[in-house]
Amino acid sequence: MPRDAGSRAADKEIALAEWLVARGRVAIGFSGGVDSAFLAVVARRALGADGVLAIIGRSASYPVEQWAAARRVADEFHVAVLELDTAELADPRYAANPSNRCYFCKTELWEKLVPVARARGYTTVVDGTNADDLRDHRPGAQAAREHAVASPLADLGFTKAEIRERSRALGLPTWQQPSSPCLSSRLPYGTSVTVERLAQVERAERALRDLGIEGDLRVRYHDDLARIELSPDALEAWLAAEPSARLAAAVRGAGFARVAIDLRGFRSGSLNVLHGVSVA
Amino acid sequence: MSGHEAGDAPAFGAALAVLGLRCAVESRAGLAVMAADAAQLAALVSLESRRQVLALARQHGFTHVAVELTAQPAGVRAPLLRD
Repeated sequence: MPRDAGSRAADKEIALAEWLVARGRVAIGFSGGVDSAFLAVVARRALGADGVLAIIGRSASYPVEQWAAARRVADEFHVAVLELDTAELADPRYAANPSNRCYFCKTELWEKLVPVARARGYTTVVDGTNADDLRDHRPGAQAAREHAVASPLADLGFTKAEIRERSRALGLPTWQQPSSPCLSSRLPYGTSVTVERLAQVERAERALRDLGIEGDLRVRYHDDLARIELSPDALEAWLAAEPSARLAAAVRGAGFARVAIDLRGFRSGSLNVLHGVSVA
Repeated sequence: MSGHEAGDAPAFGAALAVLGLRCAVESRAGLAVMAADAAQLAALVSLESRRQVLALARQHGFTHVAVELTAQPAGVRAPLLRD
């Protein structure tokens, strides 16, 4: 990032700390991803140990590896954590997997998280939505607004690149972590979300990570077929005969009858494009 | 799979054949699944080849193209893609 852009990001971090201090005690909807980890660490530095609580909502749609990473970041930076179980899969409106599925998930999350936070004296609840997210298909943002959840990163204009840059400066291990949306994002809209399907996708992605794949990776669920999206930079190596055979074996081992590799490679919101929710 | 408009698999398959890739194409709405053998898969390793295939796919109504990974004997020589 150029020096002036880096300076702007640093200025935004100062503004974020001031914003947090003005709120007093803050609870964060915490996934351990790039954005919420950055927000939690800045809050910890600005507000002290008693001023911030990172709250994790756990369910079958939240990858176990993501949970473990979240706990590691919280431990390393001394951020207090509370875990709640969420039950979005029990909501038939969510399980039917409409294009506004995220709204029902976030409604379940905030309905449980906000009262718990307020009961513990955390008067402000925030999430890690950033300015780039506002340009994407994000029906969950409506649920945040309905529950008075603030999005200071977005409000202060933090882009994802700026959050990564400042995360690096703060020594956060998440600075170059790939984005990690929930596992339900691997299922096309209209394909019902079940614990079994989410577990199948999670097994397949873990098997591919075990092959040494780093960076962006998704296993998209198409009934009997798994469609693998890799970082475009990695495609050439993995399309060769022997590596592709290992990919296929790993994903078949996770329970998919058929395995295919996407020729364009990873793109965020890929299934939104497939369904015409976003443009290609 | 979705309410999104399906691509034209036969036309895409015919266009691939002109490129030198003779393989069956399955349409799953906006997703085309190519049933490539080892030689055809080898031809898709290069970025330029993939760009050609992706451009053709878009022309025939597909937003996504994936090549199925089947158990194939390795070591088959790759066909040359034609302009």
